Amino acid sequence: MTLQRNTSIYISRLAISLIMLTAYVAMHAQNKIFAVQKDTVPFFKGFSISIDLAGPVMRTLGDYGEYEASLRINLHNQYFPIFEIGYGSAKHDDEVTSLYYKTQAPYFRIGCDLNLLKNKHTGNRMFGGLRYAFTSYKVDIAHPGMQDPVWGWDTSFSITGETCSQHWIEAVFGIDAKIWGPLHLGWNVRYKRRIAHKDSSVGNTWYIPGYGKYGDTRIGANFNVIIDI
Amino acid sequence: MGKIIAAIILAAIISSCTSIDCPVQNTVYTVYKLYKADGVADTLSDTLTIYTYRKNGSDSILLNKKTKAVVLELPISYQNHEDTLIFELKDTFNVLRRDTVWIAKTNQPHFESVDCNISYFHEITSVRWTNEAIDSIGINKKDVNYDASTEHFHIYFKARN
Repeated sequence: MTLQRNTSIYISRLAISLIMLTAYVAMHAQNKIFAVQKDTVPFFKGFSISIDLAGPVMRTLGDYGEYEASLRINLHNQYFPIFEIGYGSAKHDDEVTSLYYKTQAPYFRIGCDLNLLKNKHTGNRMFGGLRYAFTSYKVDIAHPGMQDPVWGWDTSFSITGETCSQHWIEAVFGIDAKIWGPLHLGWNVRYKRRIAHKDSSVGNTWYIPGYGKYGDTRIGANFNVIIDI
Repeated sequence: MGKIIAAIILAAIISSCTSIDCPVQNTVYTVYKLYKADGVADTLSDTLTIYTYRKNGSDSILLNKKTKAVVLELPISYQNHEDTLIFELKDTFNVLRRDTVWIAKTNQPHFESVDCNISYFHEITSVRWTNEAIDSIGINKKDVNYDASTEHFHIYFKARN
């Protein structure tokens, strides 16, 4: 009787152990199923180049503008280190004040964008980013002459090729839409804030290549044609 | 998403409404304040006329028959190295006293924007005067620019009976 009872206890314990083992294996297997869902998008996704269309239009229609292109690295469709280079110019001869202003110089920006979309792998992107920018430029400012209203003497002045510079930072928000294959179109808005500058000896400068018209802060915008490489 | 874009567009519109602070006129003034010898602000009882000489030799009146003068605002030339001002004081008995004041200065053109006329800023380097009615003139602020809130000269007239 005691032997039968011991055998029964042994079989019960064995059965319980087998059930628990089976359950453990099943749970472990399920864990493995979740674990094998790897992100198949590579970390380095290539480059893209873009050119800005807004600057040349502004330069053609107005007195100042920029020609600008950029090279952007795609890291996992999430981080986009970017290098932008451009050439800005202005030439203005004011009809009212008779002031002449001319400058032309390259500029560059370096920074990084972050893709803000929840699903980052669709090909469309919404960016937020930061830039550091710098330009060194020379200005010509001249006035042909005006009469001192009280003393009556004629006065004139001009500066030629005076070197100025400016450092500034930008906060960027933009959208890229996939059009066809590697072709994207996008726009961005930039909030620019000057952090250091060297103006001309006669006071301010009017237009700064890459930054725009003089001021502590500015808003700018680009419309880009982008090609993924 | 729509709210974010709307906020950014609104911020862009607001921020793009920048303006350039062109001065109303491009003449930069000097400010003279009258003091008694004991340092108390003075009010001139005589009639004061101030003029200078133009390029063609004619007079140009800067202040015409001012009475009870306390503070004077006078123009400064764009590019002369030294301005010459004639102060004429006429008392109630029509007695005329005349002084000449010479103000030496540097001249620096100032560019604000292509939309604003050129101005000239100055640094006053010295002042000298004759002593018919004026006792002394002190330079209180050397820089002459758009800021005329602080007087540039303290002018002391001789005591009147």
